[in-house]
Amino acid sequence: MIERLNPSSKDISIAVKDLDFSYGSSPVLKNIQLDIPENGVTSFIGPSGCGKSTLLRCINRMNDEIPSARITRGDIEIGGVNIYDSSVDVVKLRRDVGMVFQKSNPFPRSIYENVAYGLRLRGERDKAVLDQSVEQALHSAALWDEVKDRLQESALGLSGGQQQRLCIARAIAVKPRVVLMDEPCSALDPIATAKVEELIWDLKHAYTFVIVTHNMQQASRVSDKTAFFYMGEVIEFSDTSRMFSNPRFRKTEEYITGRFG
Amino acid sequence: MNQQHIFRDFDKAIEALKGEVLTMAGLTRQNLERAMRSLLERDIDLARSVIADDADVDDLERQIDQSGIDILVRFHPVASDLRLVITSMKMAHNLERISDHAVNIAKRSKKICKSTMVEDASLTEPLYSLADKLLRDALMAYTDANVTLGEGLKVRDKELDQLHKQMIASLSARLEDSNGRSENLLHLIFVARSIERIGDLAVNIGEDAVFLGEARDIRHEHRRNSAEEGESPVS
Repeated sequence: MIERLNPSSKDISIAVKDLDFSYGSSPVLKNIQLDIPENGVTSFIGPSGCGKSTLLRCINRMNDEIPSARITRGDIEIGGVNIYDSSVDVVKLRRDVGMVFQKSNPFPRSIYENVAYGLRLRGERDKAVLDQSVEQALHSAALWDEVKDRLQESALGLSGGQQQRLCIARAIAVKPRVVLMDEPCSALDPIATAKVEELIWDLKHAYTFVIVTHNMQQASRVSDKTAFFYMGEVIEFSDTSRMFSNPRFRKTEEYITGRFG
Repeated sequence: MNQQHIFRDFDKAIEALKGEVLTMAGLTRQNLERAMRSLLERDIDLARSVIADDADVDDLERQIDQSGIDILVRFHPVASDLRLVITSMKMAHNLERISDHAVNIAKRSKKICKSTMVEDASLTEPLYSLADKLLRDALMAYTDANVTLGEGLKVRDKELDQLHKQMIASLSARLEDSNGRSENLLHLIFVARSIERIGDLAVNIGEDAVFLGEARDIRHEHRRNSAEEGESPVS
């Protein structure tokens, strides 16, 4: 049912292999197989409760924090490494796989310290390296020009859109492989949304983005590949342009054309 | 896809758009039929009414474009819904051109009606009959998103082209021998040309029906295939 990506056409960053996932006795994800390409944007779409956010949180093992949550079959590989292997350091994994949430969540510290936080956690103490990394991350997040004169001011004083871009800067400051985004623009106005989308588009050559979104226009604008989830299964995974012009499966067609949702 | 849209207004807007296209298709086909009848029955009033009624077809073309734009702006349709809106707008354009050809035929018919010379206009009848069948099936292909019917029109149009060629040869031969009766023969040559073009426009509608049904673009396939095989394109 799922169109597998051609691995030769682009390197696979994240390989989800025959994954089953449950909360307690309730199965949430069933037999998920996805090859997410490197340095591109992949969107997860589907109605509420279909499992897309659950899968996103499996990719950096955030579901480990939930006692009843468990993978019952299959695994996820990033760069060929099974992230559920007992030898994997979860802290290091989350450095490699950053996450941006629906609601921006800057720390109640300065703009500078927010971006430097991950670097300090990694043990970076050199002021010159920190300065350079913070500036570079803020430039990449298209925020530098707006905050360069007030780096020591509280991040909480920034607008919602700026806070979200700061969170992106914080995520990319530690140079992750993958950036996961769970509805990153749902609390933003159209201009702030456009800035975040442009940012994703500009950064995709350097990072693998996986975005959960309820906004299908956003998925069609920003992503190269789209996966449609329904009741815990991936119904269709294909090029975004293909999915929104000529989906392969009736269920996808019904969902994206607004026949249910 | 019969399932209701989550916005009921969307279903209503799509149904209204389809209704406008079908109304336009009905008017266009009727204009063509009346233009041909005016020619065959030498009915100058009928020819005049075809020319006048073309304004309704023009209005519908603008209306359909506006309805399509409104749907695109308001609902951002995708997949088969997007294809239906685009195809409907293109259909309106093709129908408007067909109605223009009906007007061309009516204008020629008027001139023939005014002439004292009797010319055998019924020569054009088989050509019209074939073109009208193509048009009828093209409209059905759009209405039912019938890919097989739409795709088959191109081959069927070749028969029309062949008949057109024969007719032009026959009329040209008569023209040479006409000695002063040439004007009406020239009018008939132009009528035949219009009918042949209507066949081409029906093929266009059929191609759009294939896109509507299967998102497959079959336009200029022969040219593309030739290019892929390294042949020079047919000019």
